[in-house]
Amino acid sequence: MAQTLIFLTIGLPWLGALAAWLTRNEQERAQHTLAVGFSVAAGFAALALIPFSGSGVVLRLPIGGLFGDMTFVADGLGVFLAAVATVVGSLAVIFSVSYMHGDPQLGRYYSLVLLFIGGMVGLVLTNNMLFLFFFWEITALCSYALISYYNDDPKAVSAGIEALVMTQVGGVGLLGGALVVFALFGSYEIDAFLQNAAKLGPNPLAWMAFGFLIAAAAKSAQFPFQTWLPDAMEAPTPVSALIHAATMVNAGVYLLARFYPAFAPVPGWKTAVIAVGAISALMTACMALVASDLKRALAYSTVSQLGYMVYAVGTGGIFASQFHLFSHAVFKALLFLAAGTVIHAVGTRDMFKMGALGAKMPFVRNVFVIGALSLAGLPILNGFWSKESVLEAGLTGGPVWALAMMLVGAGLTACYTFRMVWLVFYGEARSRLHAHDATASMRVSLSLLAVGTLFSWHLAGPFGRLLETTLPFHKVHALGTAQMMVEVLLAPLTWGALVIIGLGLCAWWWRDRLTFLTDGFGWLGAAASQSFGFEWLNQQVVCATQSVAQALRVTQPGHLSWNVAGIIGGLVAVLIILTWG
Amino acid sequence: MTPLQIGLFGVLGLLGVGCYGLLITRNLIKVVIILQVLVKAVVLALVLAGQAGRQPGLGQSLAATVIVADTMVAVVGLALAVQIRRRFGTVDVSAISTLRG
Repeated sequence: MAQTLIFLTIGLPWLGALAAWLTRNEQERAQHTLAVGFSVAAGFAALALIPFSGSGVVLRLPIGGLFGDMTFVADGLGVFLAAVATVVGSLAVIFSVSYMHGDPQLGRYYSLVLLFIGGMVGLVLTNNMLFLFFFWEITALCSYALISYYNDDPKAVSAGIEALVMTQVGGVGLLGGALVVFALFGSYEIDAFLQNAAKLGPNPLAWMAFGFLIAAAAKSAQFPFQTWLPDAMEAPTPVSALIHAATMVNAGVYLLARFYPAFAPVPGWKTAVIAVGAISALMTACMALVASDLKRALAYSTVSQLGYMVYAVGTGGIFASQFHLFSHAVFKALLFLAAGTVIHAVGTRDMFKMGALGAKMPFVRNVFVIGALSLAGLPILNGFWSKESVLEAGLTGGPVWALAMMLVGAGLTACYTFRMVWLVFYGEARSRLHAHDATASMRVSLSLLAVGTLFSWHLAGPFGRLLETTLPFHKVHALGTAQMMVEVLLAPLTWGALVIIGLGLCAWWWRDRLTFLTDGFGWLGAAASQSFGFEWLNQQVVCATQSVAQALRVTQPGHLSWNVAGIIGGLVAVLIILTWG
Repeated sequence: MTPLQIGLFGVLGLLGVGCYGLLITRNLIKVVIILQVLVKAVVLALVLAGQAGRQPGLGQSLAATVIVADTMVAVVGLALAVQIRRRFGTVDVSAISTLRG
């Protein structure tokens, strides 16, 4: 049964991708129906897989000696992320029905979205490192194609290429790790690696650990790779929701959590993970505070919240990181889809041109506020419980400086979230915009996600137990939901964090009286709006690459004889090396 | 000399002729013919490898596959040569250098 369900969870989105691809673009209705049907069915298959989760290989497909067997496990970590990817993904697809209505190339859109979802499910369920890499690259490819979906817009195309290049940098680290494991163990199995990681010797293990950290940072848009995610906002908004909440960026956190037992003993690795998470969380929170583009502000907040998850992994809080990932997936999908509704209705992404939209779109305002409160970490929404769990994990397992950074980040989060809500939905209208409230299919997705934001933290107990029983190497200590509530509510840290979050809210509320503060930190705001120089750094790297390529042009004379001479010369060189090397 | 050694010399000879031809030829039609010579070296090498590895059937069946694939290469190559003649008015490869960097 579990085997069938794994097949279905990966296969249904891919079948749907094929079906949407083969349907002609004139039959728009059929394309919508097929995409929604297949993605919702995959969501149900993933949910049905949860009761069957357990440790050990469930499905083994022998595909010849070179690559090892294609194996799948259905443990708590993988099944849970598969469920997030398919369920949130299917809600994004339902939302697309009205958002992408009338688009001339729906087949391309839906097939890429469904391929993306299927790839993410494969990524989290596979137990073979080489296939982990393959699925990893499938998600990278799909994200590139979807970010550049409006391919007549040069900004979208360059954003897509930026995402592709940055995640490729990480992919190389992942492939290198897989090959190291194969060279030393003769197998690509992840379980076997986790069991015998100590036998690998300190040097290869350290290389792998830091290689995987780079891979995860690139995929999850963590410091120093954080620039691609905000630039990826050129994509259609449901795709942004998909990338930010359901697929893609979760893969990096998943990778760190999956390999944590093997890499935790590597000296310096945990500190490096904590530092990456803390720097990302704080830096992008500053950037979100000065962003004027609604989607960009949300993107910065995603990087910041991913920083919290990475930080939690570094402190050993696997459960806390995955719990926050779950909460974040729900409320960030809600925020993105609500933002998409706003952008769809008013036709601009600039928050300074919006204002007072709450009266025109009451439904969207209500769900957006729910999501925003959860993002800010206010009780009793899901973001509160998971963020407090992360901070709690940081208190027990991490250094004080990082915890202080995370607390400041929490305050900034509250401030920029409140700023976002205020600029879009309250205050006075800053330009005459004709706005209409959400359509039916948008309302379905939004209200389901809003309900999830309100209540999904009830699942913390069962989810923790699932992780505890099915992950033999991670040593997760699960608490029941009630126990977790008591623990969080009685912890002094929670109240400290709440005070800081409250200060963040007040900072926005009293912004007119706090002008001395804004003046004093003007340099910080200026640096943040320049993305702390990272955009400039990217430009320099691109320029350097282009000038090197320009200099190398002389090696291409374009004459057949010279090319053949080069090939033969290379062959001779290889032969000489093989004979005497 | 064993038959295997004689065959190997044949392979090397064909490869040498082919490489030399590729280096000096300018006529596109001749390039296609020289490619055939090179592929024949490969076919011979496959048959020899089958003999040496005591799996003559395998070597021969691979050789037959290569012959089929290689015929298609020749056909496509000649078709391209015709197209190039029509577009550039010449089959001299040194005159066609649009790939120059």
